[in-house]
Amino acid sequence: MDWEAGLSAAVAQGDEIKAEELAREALDAGAPPREVLEKGAVAGIDEAGRLWQEGEYFLPDVILATEAFNVVMGIVEPLLAGEDGARKGRVVLGSVEGDAHDLGKNIVAAMLRASLYEVLDLGVDVPAASFVEAAREQEPGIIGLGAYMTTTMRNMEGVITALEEAGLRSGVKIIIGGAPVTAEYADRIGADGYGADAVEAVRLAGRLLGVS
Amino acid sequence: MGVTAKLLKGTLYARGLRLGELDGYERLIAGIYGRPDRVPIVLQPYTYAMAMHGLSARRFFTEPGPFINASRNMAVYFGADSWSPVFDFYNIELDALGQKLIWRENSEPDVDTREPLIAAEEDLRRLKPPVPGKSGRMPYVIEAYKRYMDVMGIPPMAYACSPFTMAVLIRGYVNFLRDMRRNPAFAHRLLEFLSMEVVVPWIDRMVEATNTAIVVMSDAWASAPNMTVQMVREFCLPYVEKVIRATNSAMRTVMDSGSWGEKDVADPREILDIKMDMLTPGNSLKALRPFFLLVWNEDYEAVGIPRIRAYAEEKDVCLMLNIRPDLIEEGPVERIVENVVKVIREGAGKGRFALLLNLVPVGTPVEHAHVAVAALKQFGRYPVGGLEPRAFRMPSFRPFDEWLRAEGLPVD
Repeated sequence: MDWEAGLSAAVAQGDEIKAEELAREALDAGAPPREVLEKGAVAGIDEAGRLWQEGEYFLPDVILATEAFNVVMGIVEPLLAGEDGARKGRVVLGSVEGDAHDLGKNIVAAMLRASLYEVLDLGVDVPAASFVEAAREQEPGIIGLGAYMTTTMRNMEGVITALEEAGLRSGVKIIIGGAPVTAEYADRIGADGYGADAVEAVRLAGRLLGVS
Repeated sequence: MGVTAKLLKGTLYARGLRLGELDGYERLIAGIYGRPDRVPIVLQPYTYAMAMHGLSARRFFTEPGPFINASRNMAVYFGADSWSPVFDFYNIELDALGQKLIWRENSEPDVDTREPLIAAEEDLRRLKPPVPGKSGRMPYVIEAYKRYMDVMGIPPMAYACSPFTMAVLIRGYVNFLRDMRRNPAFAHRLLEFLSMEVVVPWIDRMVEATNTAIVVMSDAWASAPNMTVQMVREFCLPYVEKVIRATNSAMRTVMDSGSWGEKDVADPREILDIKMDMLTPGNSLKALRPFFLLVWNEDYEAVGIPRIRAYAEEKDVCLMLNIRPDLIEEGPVERIVENVVKVIREGAGKGRFALLLNLVPVGTPVEHAHVAVAALKQFGRYPVGGLEPRAFRMPSFRPFDEWLRAEGLPVD
């Protein structure tokens, strides 16, 4: 099918206008929403990830691919409601309180969605109480915390403490990431893992949830 | 002694002519041009000063008196050689343009990236330049500089936001990436407006108020990996040069700084070369002016200080490194001392070197900051040698509240 190559290329190239146009055309022509997602958008973001890993793409290229992926996801996701999508698990993500940066978190969210995780993105500057509330109400398998400044990464520990105090810590895995964060820091604050980049975060999520 | 005499004394000291002991400012000048008596220590008190004085972010970032007095108290309490009045310098021009900020109780305000002021291309046509010194919080900055001069007797280092970083913040990162890729003419129009209608008049106003010898445009967004080297060269550096050419003088450096990313590219020299291009275009009389090449800990830890030191020597420029803020927060004392010794051993060389204590996290025990400063003073003496961390002598210091009551400037 022609749209598959075109859509995946548009996503990989970060052309969200063309990606939206091709996704709508494919759906109008009767393509199943899941195929539009998997053979178009997911294939495109996977290609962007591959080019990034090989050093051909830079972060701005991946960001724009992520944005294009999200546009297609926004069109297709409502059409998948109620479908048994064989999701690998539910992940709650957010940048911790005091931190308004979201680039890294957004890439992780897109890569997780592309890998068929259900992602609930709480946004930026998220208080510990909101993570607790999401853990209680959404029962995610994983909570991902992002912090992008040395001054805000301390708040990751506060989220873990809040989850412990709420009696919810044992039911969820916590992964952390962001520019100043390290694996050593993850160990020290009692997180379950650290992802140096989005690809690693997806692998980590798979390992922690026991899915491929 | 006037600032010109201090500049002269520091410069002469760096060249071997010693006219008495150096004070902190003279030590910094000597460190920029050559070899002082010991490595100079610059402090950015920032939100640590705010928290230590129990000030809200709203007061610290809007009231010049509490801001300057709290910052000065912190620098004197810890014994820094020099300190700069660091406010949220990425936001001032944007605030004056009307960009919405997010205010919090205990940290600096941030641009609300959910509502960029220039959401669409046509918004640029509607945008009015600020009235330099009058719009938004510009009066706070000007008044803060005046109070700094009253307290310190010298002009402050003045700060502006670079046109490139301002464009990213006012447009939103993803939007600006798309502009650079799909609509470069608009990206250049925006950068031209921000350079010549916003940054240049603002620098002129700050210079008029302070007669400062150095203006730093901060450029966090001109950093890898968020931007590619090619993007920075095409969209950032030409406007840095424009602003510098429009604002510098024989006695004043205007420079761009604060970016990072040496560890995120295959060849760190690509980023270091960009940093040199942020300092030198238009600054043709560089031998007469204070410059420094600033490299952050995340990068020098990955790349290695000797490699960066060699680059600075090759370019004949002062190297400035920060001390890892999270380490100062966490300690323990032995680890802080070891880190300081390593940085001095690998970085101090024979001069043209300075250290920066920045972003000390709120909640850091004062003992840790005292230890960092004491270690820098003990081990940073030229000629550098005998760097044995076990020889560190713990400093004695009074609890901050007690010191504040006895020697601090009031913040209320």
